[in-house]
Amino acid sequence: MNQNPQLRIVLAKVGLDGHDRGVKIITRGLRDAGFHVIYPGLWQSPEAVVRTVADEDADWLGISLLSGTHLTLVPRIMELLKQAGLAHVGVLVGGIIPEADIPKLAALGVARVFGPGTPLPDIVDFLRSQGSRTHA
Amino acid sequence: MLDDLLQRLRSKDRLALARVLTLISRDEQLAEIRKAVGPKPDATPVIALTGNAGVGKSTLVGKLAEHLRAQHKTVAVLACDPESPLTGGALLGDRVRMPSRPDDDGLYIRSLAAASGHQAVAEHVDLMIRVLSAFGFDVILLETVGAGQGDTAVRSLADVVVVLLQPESGDELQWEKAGLLEIADVVVIHKSDLPGAERLQSQVRELLSLPGCRQIAVLPVSSKKNEGFVELWQAIVAAPRRDGPLEPAAQFLLRRAQQVLADRLLDRAGNVGPVVDRWKRHELDEEQAADELLHRLIE
Amino acid sequence: MATAMDRKLWEQWRAEIEKAPPPVQPATTVSSVPIEPLYTPDDLQDVDYDSELSYPGQYPYTRGIHATMHRGRLWTMRQFAGFGTARQTNERFHFLVQRGQTGLSTAFDLPTLMGIDSDDPRSIGEVGRLGVAMDTIDDMRQLFDKIDIEKLSVSMTINAPAMIVMAFYLANAADRGFDWKKLRGTIQNDTLKEFHAQNEIYFPPEPSVRMAIDVIEFCTHHVPQWNPVSISGYHIREAGSTAVQELAFTLADGFHYIDECLARGLAVDQFAGRLSFFFNAHNDLFEEVAKYRAARLLWADRLRNHYGAKQESSWKLRFHAQTAGCSLQDKQPEVNLIRVAYQALAAVLGGCQSLHTNSMDEVLALPSEHAVTLALRTQQVLAHETGVTNTADPLGGSYFVETLTRQMEAEARKYFDRIDELGGMLPAIDRGFFRREIAEAAFVYQREVDAKRKLIVGVNAYQEAEEKPLEILSIDHAVESEQIATLRKRNGERSQDDVARTLDAVRRTAEAGQNVMPSLIDAARARVTVGETMGALADVLGRCDTAVV
Repeated sequence: MNQNPQLRIVLAKVGLDGHDRGVKIITRGLRDAGFHVIYPGLWQSPEAVVRTVADEDADWLGISLLSGTHLTLVPRIMELLKQAGLAHVGVLVGGIIPEADIPKLAALGVARVFGPGTPLPDIVDFLRSQGSRTHA
Repeated sequence: MLDDLLQRLRSKDRLALARVLTLISRDEQLAEIRKAVGPKPDATPVIALTGNAGVGKSTLVGKLAEHLRAQHKTVAVLACDPESPLTGGALLGDRVRMPSRPDDDGLYIRSLAAASGHQAVAEHVDLMIRVLSAFGFDVILLETVGAGQGDTAVRSLADVVVVLLQPESGDELQWEKAGLLEIADVVVIHKSDLPGAERLQSQVRELLSLPGCRQIAVLPVSSKKNEGFVELWQAIVAAPRRDGPLEPAAQFLLRRAQQVLADRLLDRAGNVGPVVDRWKRHELDEEQAADELLHRLIE
Repeated sequence: MATAMDRKLWEQWRAEIEKAPPPVQPATTVSSVPIEPLYTPDDLQDVDYDSELSYPGQYPYTRGIHATMHRGRLWTMRQFAGFGTARQTNERFHFLVQRGQTGLSTAFDLPTLMGIDSDDPRSIGEVGRLGVAMDTIDDMRQLFDKIDIEKLSVSMTINAPAMIVMAFYLANAADRGFDWKKLRGTIQNDTLKEFHAQNEIYFPPEPSVRMAIDVIEFCTHHVPQWNPVSISGYHIREAGSTAVQELAFTLADGFHYIDECLARGLAVDQFAGRLSFFFNAHNDLFEEVAKYRAARLLWADRLRNHYGAKQESSWKLRFHAQTAGCSLQDKQPEVNLIRVAYQALAAVLGGCQSLHTNSMDEVLALPSEHAVTLALRTQQVLAHETGVTNTADPLGGSYFVETLTRQMEAEARKYFDRIDELGGMLPAIDRGFFRREIAEAAFVYQREVDAKRKLIVGVNAYQEAEEKPLEILSIDHAVESEQIATLRKRNGERSQDDVARTLDAVRRTAEAGQNVMPSLIDAARARVTVGETMGALADVLGRCDTAVV
């Protein structure tokens, strides 16, 4: 019996933005912390992200947005997740998000927003404290 | 809970499929799942793709999947990456190189972490294959971690083993690659657009044309140029079933028996603990310890 | 450069150091290179001044590419601009010129950078947001309306569709009666660094390079004062590389472009003088200065001794610098003003030819007018109040800086060898070499910051409990609808026959392996869009759907 099942997290870069420095660091950091990280690469459409989350049975989805399109792309993804029966999946958003918009994202169901330069241990600790959303 | 899940699985619920695969990967409720899905029908071919890191397995798997979809075959891909022995974490990055087709239900891609050690694939892939086959996929592609040479699990899991090689800068075909060729049913010279591909192809052909060797197709494939996939699929379909010293079915059963044995022993923790302690104290060597455990099980 | 040193005095100092407590923070550069407590003439024992340093304006240009450097001519103060529609950017251009700017630098929006049109579904929320939206030649005309492009130098920061944007620029210039031979400026057009770092990618690596060389070749023959490529390290550094990686990968990219141009039958002296560079100006002042100096001497060495270039203009490495965007923080953003000032100082001490200073609010959004003005003033104070322009290469001869310069040179050469071992630039890209190196460096840096071995003011040190919100520029979403409406109208008004005919010619030219620029210029006049043209080219050149990780 696997005593400590590793959490599965999909890290997605959505939209046209190609800055992947942050998401690649987090990918590596989470792996080093014992997570199973699925990184499907750049330029993911919201539909592709949701399909990946579904097929990989991910516990968490981390959306990386650096260019500020959070108010168009995140609502779309949250809607698609709901439609696909994946409302239980925990969603994190990372990137340059103005303070004023964080409550809006929370209202959509985003669990946490991590700004640029968030220390890796903070993200790891948060995920560990939340545990698996899909398994008892 | 599980019954509901299995019911949904039978109704071709994709989320249920994903969840069942997760349960399997976590060693949960294997017996029940095994009972619910039948054995894999021979008609669902399982093709394992293996080769050294950097040879382009994921890219080729992706292109092959597209090729198969164009022929209206439904495809399930299991892509394995290594799990860190220290942390248990894994970077599952194979799907980056595979097609993103969110609207296509005929393609399913799942990333798996293979436990550290000489594992080419994740645990219980055999059961996952049975589940995918029961779900109705026409073809199952299994991408191994790095090079699966010497890993008999791959041979017993797959109907056809495809080994990928690529032209190296200027080197002769290295002898350790020859080890890979022992398990191959089809050899792919990948990145055939690069210089050195033809030379590698003749080297491999020469190696495989030694008397007594099976007939193994050696094919140039270029993912970059999308060339060679028609011939590759034909070769896979035509590959003769390998006969080893033990039939694949027997080998497979033996491994299952080993697993069942280990599970039963572990369930009786009281049996195992004392033996382990004595082994740690060097009062028993490994062989003796194994014998002890076996006796305790039989009692 | 031997000087007599009294060993006894040195030993006394050394003994003090042994007794002293360890440094208060790790004594390493931003790139984690360990630094000695002191550098002395001993470190420069075998440096030969005449051959290795020489004089500014003389091979190998370690001390600068002009005899007088900034004393004789200030660097160009070139601030990036561009947002919204071409008309809005045109207004910002006029504003900046009035404020004292001497060159224009254009930023494009993300859809344009990626080679797609404003009405593409993937462009939603992006049109005109990070730069100007450019769909057709009409936008180009609007962008430079009432600007005498023969009198100002113009820089365009664009890569994947650079050949198309250049075609728009040239077609528009000709239509307005400007002489191509008089046009001065730069187009970034550096596709290799996209594959290493920035990811503005459309076609696979090899055909992308081919397009870049088409631009270089065409401009070499027809637009002789234009810099057809800005070989960039800036983005490589932004992706998290070390200073040495920035240096080595950028120069290696330059060497590859040279090889490609030579393969086309151009003579090195025909084009090498117009290859320009673009480096990052990061926080560690001395590391940056050493980097620029090493860049000059490595380039000069390679051009003269390996490529056999005969003209001095081919040996001289000219560079634009931009202060490090990745060093800007969203906590206490006014502190960014201070960072930018130090970074600008590094770039100037390092001998840059032009400089962009970031605005303090750039992390949060495109800069406000106030922030842009302050950024420009930073350069003006530097130029006129600090005295750094009085002499060339002020840090030359510093035991520290000369040692660092040579160290960087040596480390860069190791990278050149490594790339050769991998089979050259394209095989190395295929194998993910550059990306792995950069990702590793980025990870190491993050670990240092998380562990507080590297402190960042306001972020992991000296934090403020309450953050003052900064005034940021918000983009009017009407821009997107306006641009799309204009585009659709223009698309409706043009001749579909001309569009089809010219795009077909583009395809055929690409298939035939010829330079695509003339066919692109024709197509520009038929009012093809950037997206349509990229699509037509991709039919021949292929697409790169996944960035190889």
